[in-house]
Amino acid sequence: MWRYALRRLLFLPLIVVLVAVFTFVLLRVLPGQDPARVMAGQGATPDQIKEIHRQLGLDYPVFPVSLRGEPPFVQLNRHDQFSKWLGAALRGDFGVTYQSQAPVRQEFARRFPASFELILLALIIGSVFGISFGILSALYRNSVLDYVVRVFAVFGASVPEFFLLTLLIILPSYLFNYAPPIGGYHSLLREPMLNLRQFGPPALILGIGGSAALMRLVRTTMLEVLRADYIRTAQAKGLSRPTIVLTHAFRNAATPIVTALGTAFLAVFGGSVIAETIMSIQGVGAFFFISTLSRDLPVIQFLAVYTAVVVVLANLIIDLSYALIDRRVRYS
Amino acid sequence: MATATSRQLPVAVDAGWETLPERPWYVRWRRIAAQNPLGVVALLIVVGFFVLGLVGPYVAPYPPRQLDAAAQFLGPSWAHPFGTNETGNDMFSRVLVGARVSMTFGAIVIVFGFVPGALLGVLSGYAGRWIDYVLQRSSEAWSAFPQVILVLTFLTAFGPGLRNIEIVTAIGAVFGSSRVLRAVAIIEKQKDYVLAAHATGASDARIFARHVLPNVMPYIIVGISGVFAAAVVIEATLSFLGLGLAVGTPGWGIDLNAAIRSGYGQQYPFLVLFPGLAISLVVLGFNLLGDTLRDILDPRLRGSR
Repeated sequence: MWRYALRRLLFLPLIVVLVAVFTFVLLRVLPGQDPARVMAGQGATPDQIKEIHRQLGLDYPVFPVSLRGEPPFVQLNRHDQFSKWLGAALRGDFGVTYQSQAPVRQEFARRFPASFELILLALIIGSVFGISFGILSALYRNSVLDYVVRVFAVFGASVPEFFLLTLLIILPSYLFNYAPPIGGYHSLLREPMLNLRQFGPPALILGIGGSAALMRLVRTTMLEVLRADYIRTAQAKGLSRPTIVLTHAFRNAATPIVTALGTAFLAVFGGSVIAETIMSIQGVGAFFFISTLSRDLPVIQFLAVYTAVVVVLANLIIDLSYALIDRRVRYS
Repeated sequence: MATATSRQLPVAVDAGWETLPERPWYVRWRRIAAQNPLGVVALLIVVGFFVLGLVGPYVAPYPPRQLDAAAQFLGPSWAHPFGTNETGNDMFSRVLVGARVSMTFGAIVIVFGFVPGALLGVLSGYAGRWIDYVLQRSSEAWSAFPQVILVLTFLTAFGPGLRNIEIVTAIGAVFGSSRVLRAVAIIEKQKDYVLAAHATGASDARIFARHVLPNVMPYIIVGISGVFAAAVVIEATLSFLGLGLAVGTPGWGIDLNAAIRSGYGQQYPFLVLFPGLAISLVVLGFNLLGDTLRDILDPRLRGSR
């Protein structure tokens, strides 16, 4: 299994380079707004735009090889943007942001803890909530609890996150004149109350929003597993109900649930962009959003690679946990 | 052989099962409706919003952009059920007219994203080979990334605006629908009726168009409700974030954006509440409709969801 993991990890650089190339093409070839124009503001002369291009290195060809309309059709470029970026990136240098002129890595590191906490908190809330209520709903099928869970699962999947987050800002403010702490990052260890007031509510909404689909899936899978013959055997043996539910039923239902947890992670990871932007949390998600508005290419480039790494690692963890849950799954 | 058939046929007729009249369609539909009351509600919601999308501007009590300084920030009342905003626009009218933006957006994504994707999916599941491989790998890559991040990156590349949001959402819908329909087609092509059609000498194209496609149609409809709901949310979210519609246009996402950005939403929550509820209601309608159709298609799952 560990050899399998290692081999998968060896693919990581390849995927990262592919994502980097793809993002490069996307951001530099497609007709989106010119970042120089955003920086120069309205009424900039073509010369000024050219000067900004020169400063940002955008006047070089994008790739080391470019196509031409005449023979020999391909042209090798001595200086190009991609090799320069890749060379620096391999040394851990991802350039400076257009906005603040500070190193991208430093700006990222400053914002990472906030996002990490938000995502982790949301994921914990979502999985605890989704799995426990999914199991309960399957066990007490057609009870009041089951109906509440089912109605919640449908509604939870229908109300958009950004609407709930907006309500989270305006309703406490309207009803109690209360505002959550805004901006900065209050450390969980040093200022726990301030930290939880800042991160608790958005994490709750992201988590519970993500748990709706999970809850449904846990319920369906558990219902199917509970009908199995080995559950009846376990009951006949006189095992206690918690033992049957947790070690016999849940364990066998766990594989699709892990898959759903992976989907939930993606949803929360993406949702953090919206949550941080709405709640004015200075995290990676809000950073990404601001950078797309200003077309801050080095930042988007870096964050695309960062997302690719996170996605690949998350998928690897999910695949490996299949083997941990179910001994029949073997990787070689 | 001929004698065997002639000997069996009268028996079947005597048993009466061959002459049993088929119940008319409305009887069958009424039974399905009676068994799925939630589905009927969902259908009514969805159809209602489609109608609103068509006639919204004609039934709205006030012009949605009418400036009226005297009618600023009126709370909900009989004259203005959803209140009025900072320019005195009647929010009820704006929500009615806003249906057009969301429903048109969803329809465009279905026509230009879902339908080609579904055809591609059925084709790739049915024909296999390199089409299948290319489609599978790109759709895996697309779905591996968080949707919000993908859409925002593409939007940076294309530039903001409703047209570009439509393009990006449609691309996502192509991958989404092709994956579902591919799986269905793979199951479908192994069924006996395909074999039988082959045996009678039907061409692949004919089998695909006349036999496979009608059989996967219900799954296509289930998929459409899911993609439509997701598309409505994407448009509203991006407009809310200020990347879609222009401020002032009556649309649910952009109205929420206006209420928050101006800061008036804090004092007058109804400015946020009603457009948000409209979005939620549409999405709920499509989700419930999809669930109901799935239940009807797969009776094994009935009551388990």
